[in-house]
Amino acid sequence: MTKDSQKYWALFSTSFKQAWHNKANLSGILFFLFILIFIYNRLWEIIGIQDNNAHINNHFIWYLLFAEMVILSRPRVERIIFDDIQSGTMAYYLNKPISFFLMRYVEALGNMSVTFLITGAFGSLVTLFVTGAPPFTLWQFPLIFIACFLSAAINTLLFTGVGLCGLWLNSIRTLAMAVERLAFIFGGAIFPLSIYPEWFVHIAQWTPFYSIYYLSIKLVYDFSWSNLLTAAALNLLWTLIIVSFILFAYGKLSKKVNIYGG
Amino acid sequence: MSDIIEVKQLSKKFKLKKPSNEFKKLFFPEYKTVNAVDKLSFSIKKGERVAFIGPNGAGKSTTIKMLSAILHPTSGSAEVMGMIPWENRQKLAYHIGTVFGQRSQLWYNLPINDSFELLGKIYNIDTILFKRRLSKLVRLFEIRDLLNHPTRSLSLGQRMRCEIVASLIHQPQVLFLDEPTIGLDVTAKSIIRNLIKKQALEEETTLLLTSHDTDDMEKVCERVIIINKGRLIFDNSIKALKDSYLNKKYLEITTDSGQRVKNIINTKETPVKKAIDELVQKYHVTDITVENPPMEEIIKEIYNRD
Repeated sequence: MTKDSQKYWALFSTSFKQAWHNKANLSGILFFLFILIFIYNRLWEIIGIQDNNAHINNHFIWYLLFAEMVILSRPRVERIIFDDIQSGTMAYYLNKPISFFLMRYVEALGNMSVTFLITGAFGSLVTLFVTGAPPFTLWQFPLIFIACFLSAAINTLLFTGVGLCGLWLNSIRTLAMAVERLAFIFGGAIFPLSIYPEWFVHIAQWTPFYSIYYLSIKLVYDFSWSNLLTAAALNLLWTLIIVSFILFAYGKLSKKVNIYGG
Repeated sequence: MSDIIEVKQLSKKFKLKKPSNEFKKLFFPEYKTVNAVDKLSFSIKKGERVAFIGPNGAGKSTTIKMLSAILHPTSGSAEVMGMIPWENRQKLAYHIGTVFGQRSQLWYNLPINDSFELLGKIYNIDTILFKRRLSKLVRLFEIRDLLNHPTRSLSLGQRMRCEIVASLIHQPQVLFLDEPTIGLDVTAKSIIRNLIKKQALEEETTLLLTSHDTDDMEKVCERVIIINKGRLIFDNSIKALKDSYLNKKYLEITTDSGQRVKNIINTKETPVKKAIDELVQKYHVTDITVENPPMEEIIKEIYNRD
């Protein structure tokens, strides 16, 4: 491990350890997840029975669980970064041998990993009890798990970029809310995109949410090597686009630092 | 001794939006330029302890921020340890330490010890060296009891001691302290001053300290640079500062009836002996005190003269 990676690893592991202490937040997330699985199970049960296609329920509840793991595990990194920019805190990291942006992202990843693991473990037990065994096989599980974990990491990266928009905006609340809602709709985070009309899916395909959320999470009930590779390739492309934007914004930000003395 | 900090004609201008209505501000903004630092030049030798003082808005913090690689100047040049700070941010970071009284570099929710360990990693300090260094600083700043407490639970004085340790963990050769005693009570201020001085003497750290408290300057530093409106107005030793402004004496007598009479005399016009004689003739004096004006008065006078 290089010295640079050691410092970011230290930040990640500290944040990872810290996140376990945030019991109130974790309990809230688990409670919400439990309610969500319960409600959607009832919904899909009714639809599944009506369609004489009961396995839909099982597929979609497991899909919902992984979608929620990606969504709920994201810490509010955009708010932290926005506050750092607005308060000038970010400037004080310029004379430290560390990248401010990477530091905040790695800390967010530590936090995200804990929530991802806990919601995954708890949610799997509840889903198993509610709807039975998952639609994927045992050997597919680690691949799906890694794909969804990486999606959660890209999702966190996307919102890190939203936070950096604090450079141009006085408030990022509306922007963050808009991105969240678009992710729900175009990413199929509430319902899989397969139930939407085709024209809608065509629009969704042009957004980052399609691959970040839908393609990775869909592997839960529609696993194939080609689906996995498509998801990986598209996610890599979107990651490059997001990173390019972040580097551009961060470069502008570093130059624009203009905090007052006194 | 060689210069460790060299500043030449350093200037920093800020462009600020003029207040106007929202429509005008959005479509036709008007700007005014503020000269925060105006052609400032000075140099500091290795191991010197320099107070950098001035009234609010004088440009002290802006100068420190330029020297510690946070801000870019508008013009002029500066070198810290032979490096241009804003061009060598990462490289210089390993050799300088900063303490900003109103900012924390410790992780709010983490125990102090964890914050130090993270800083050790950030500064790429070898584990054994780090332990040795931390143990020394913990002893020097007497913070052993605080190590397991999260930053959020510390008092301001305790936090400031930890902040200074955090800024010294990588053994910087230059330490920038921007109002390190702000908001502290008298006892905490005194402890912080003593510790800063003790450490600087022990490790020959070069100090550049800004403060509004003249006691910080007197107790910690040997030299003072005074700036006002971004310009340098005094640069000499603290002794020279006192000597050049010591034509005033504060004379206080207590009479046998317990009455206290205070006089400020200008020694150039009235010698001290003559002033005392006049008072002794006028009153039944039981006690007499002659004092130099407090440093605060001297500084105030310098600001007023500028």
